[in-house]
Amino acid sequence: MEGFRAAFAVETCKLWKKKKIIAAAVLSIVAVLIGQLAVVAINNSLGLRVVGSGEFPLIVLSFFQYTIFPLFVTFVAADMFNGEFSANTMKLALMRPVSRLGVFSAKVGAIAAFIAANLLFVLVLSLAAGFAFNPASAGLAGVLRVLVAYAVSFLPVFVFGLLVVVLANVVRGGLAVFFLAVVVFAGFYAAGLFFSQFESFLITSMFDWYRHWIAESVNVFKIIRQALIMIGCGTMLFAAGYWLFDRKEL
Amino acid sequence: MGKAIEFHGLTKMYRNGRGIRDLNLEVDEGDIFGFLGPNGAGKTTVMKIMTGLIRPDSGDVKLFGHSVQTDFVRAIRHAGCLIETAESYPYLTAWDNLKLAARYYPDVDGRRIEECLELVGLIKYKNEKPRRFSLGMKQRLGIAAAMLSRPRLLILDEPLNGLDVEGMLDMRRLIKRLAEEEGTTFFISSHLIHDVELTCTRIGVVYEGRLLNADYTRNILANYSSLEHYFVSEVERGGRV
Repeated sequence: MEGFRAAFAVETCKLWKKKKIIAAAVLSIVAVLIGQLAVVAINNSLGLRVVGSGEFPLIVLSFFQYTIFPLFVTFVAADMFNGEFSANTMKLALMRPVSRLGVFSAKVGAIAAFIAANLLFVLVLSLAAGFAFNPASAGLAGVLRVLVAYAVSFLPVFVFGLLVVVLANVVRGGLAVFFLAVVVFAGFYAAGLFFSQFESFLITSMFDWYRHWIAESVNVFKIIRQALIMIGCGTMLFAAGYWLFDRKEL
Repeated sequence: MGKAIEFHGLTKMYRNGRGIRDLNLEVDEGDIFGFLGPNGAGKTTVMKIMTGLIRPDSGDVKLFGHSVQTDFVRAIRHAGCLIETAESYPYLTAWDNLKLAARYYPDVDGRRIEECLELVGLIKYKNEKPRRFSLGMKQRLGIAAAMLSRPRLLILDEPLNGLDVEGMLDMRRLIKRLAEEEGTTFFISSHLIHDVELTCTRIGVVYEGRLLNADYTRNILANYSSLEHYFVSEVERGGRV
């Protein structure tokens, strides 16, 4: 556990120092601001109220879940594995007193921390933008719904991140992993549309599962079923990723 | 005196037919062991197995009695390593690189980091990033990272690579000082016969993946005019030249 903690601290520190978080933050700010300006423009030019301050973060979430979040997690995961193998810096962690499972878990933990930080940042940003541009529609219930939606959105993005980790340990080049992740993402999405009977097993179909949590009538069984599928997929992907990582020779 | 390193029937063969075969060796604590052999003899393969970077096909390596294959964390806890090229994170300063490495060892503080940078002559450059370093400076930083935790064993793969004459002399002095004052065991691979002769107290000759012989430097030099003659003699005895 001591080795894992050290490796986790090292991985998060590297993420921070490589300024990946800052790049993610800048891109998130730009995307949220463009969204909010579009909403304001529609309000002013057409006289329509598109969304209130409580709904704006949910609109942002629905967009980010299928674009920015998977994109960032792919970049970070590919860099953390392929980037380090190709730069030959992976051995710096592997020659320290920490098991390969510890190193692998620390990397996955750092990816999880990155996703959580990214979600939290976009949550705060979109809430602030929503309140700033449309303060009249603010309400505690709306804020609570937003909090729940962002919190539960962590799981599908994290499971997708684990899928990218597996790809990163199968394919050698970081760029190849990125394109493969995009193809897998698009393929899963298309498969969900055309073969709806298998939709439940495709991680991309779970990206909007937060809607079940904030719906008027909450379908508890559906939530539990989807949560169990994601946890199951995540566990298998973690095991597969570790199996591949443990067999790597430098 | 305890055993710092034990190899038992260590074998690792690559698809190209190169590798190491049935390596058996014991290195006592306090030895400066020179692993001498030409390029491609299998020196780095042995060192990578010792540090857990690759797995052997068969056999085992023990560091201070702990198997690298089955008890890696305990085996490597008292070892510092520099394998192949000295890598560092190019986007971090020299000091930050060592600070990251120090996270794995609770006893290593800022003072120790400064001390290591001072010992390898990089203290002036502690706030510079290694992407601007010369090969020799990167090598020095790698050695500083290896000795950071005051390890009982230092595994150094071609540690003099890229160093200028002054750097080589400094490194030799540092190795001898650590061995004498702190009792550090060294396992050093090199293809530079002269440097091995001047630095190491015990020498093993590896050739085409096999350990031909291992003996103390004083015994070798008592029977041969130089280590080079000993090396040629051992290789000839093996019927390979």
